[in-house]
Amino acid sequence: MRIAGETVGTRGIALLSVAALVGLVLGAHGWSSRHHGLPPAGLSGGQPSASASPASSRSAQPGTSPSASAAPAQGPPSAGTPTPTPGPKLSSQSYAAYSFVVWPGTPSPAAQAAETGLTITVHKQGTGISVAAGAAGQPLPAARYYPTGVKVYVIEASMGDDSGNSDFNLGDDGLVVTDSQGRILQ
Amino acid sequence: MSRKAGPVTASRTQSARKADPARRASAAPARTAGSAADDGLVGRAQGIAAEWAPTAARIMLGLVLAWFGYHELIQPQLWTGYVPGVTATSEFAIVLVLGHGWVLLMLAVAIIAGLALRLAAAIAAVLLLQIVITLTITGGLTDLTLRDVGVLGLALCLTGSTRQRAVLTS
Repeated sequence: MRIAGETVGTRGIALLSVAALVGLVLGAHGWSSRHHGLPPAGLSGGQPSASASPASSRSAQPGTSPSASAAPAQGPPSAGTPTPTPGPKLSSQSYAAYSFVVWPGTPSPAAQAAETGLTITVHKQGTGISVAAGAAGQPLPAARYYPTGVKVYVIEASMGDDSGNSDFNLGDDGLVVTDSQGRILQ
Repeated sequence: MSRKAGPVTASRTQSARKADPARRASAAPARTAGSAADDGLVGRAQGIAAEWAPTAARIMLGLVLAWFGYHELIQPQLWTGYVPGVTATSEFAIVLVLGHGWVLLMLAVAIIAGLALRLAAAIAAVLLLQIVITLTITGGLTDLTLRDVGVLGLALCLTGSTRQRAVLTS
């Protein structure tokens, strides 16, 4: 068979047919799971951010309400609110090498780069902090309250999908909150 | 004394070489043989490169396309941010990404196997050109854009490739 002046034999046709079928199967899988596969912390909100600049808002004023577009922060948990159960240590996870501290303290340049395309807000509230994170330009999910002593990390496995102020693939981004002993709360 | 000893010794050595034609004659072929061996090695390396570099380029470009095609197919929701002019949250964007991923996968198989290589490379070049233009418009000339310019160059090179090794033939 000749395609644009080049000959493709029967084995080539067979190979392309198999590839086409495999592609269709993979595509069907991708279509069926198009609402899944988001980072554990739900950073992407279902879509990547390709236009917004990194933003991280922190308030040192206890009880200060988030400014402007920040999500409404929840108050300290009431008696009926379950406290997060500590999970494994962050240091034992495969993505520990890609985690960058956002809170407490001033984020390093690497952490700021990792925040590209994300909006992470951390506010002191009462005796703890409230944390909200999402894709930049998208509505933030409700903030969650954590007791004092926790640390907030941003995960960015690959900076290669960040360009300028855009993160074209949030599939390798995430947010992790650990307790004072480094165990993952979120 | 010791300062003068060096130059004197060197001078003696040079004069001894001049005075000994047999020694000079034996040294010259040794150098010629060495340079010939070097030339042979370089020539052989150049021959191997000329023979296999287009194949390496073909396979590497195919792997790049296969990687992106596969990931666009299995997680299209993570790539909708690249689709120009369409809301990233829409299902239409998902469909476009899936279609793009399927085409990339087919191109990858064709390029790696060497099937209609120049045509496949030309289509890949058009797709990459569209990506470069879109990225330039949306984000300017960034590291990401320039990286794709390099891949575009690789695809363009393969559109003119006439000699390939390790291709699937009928």
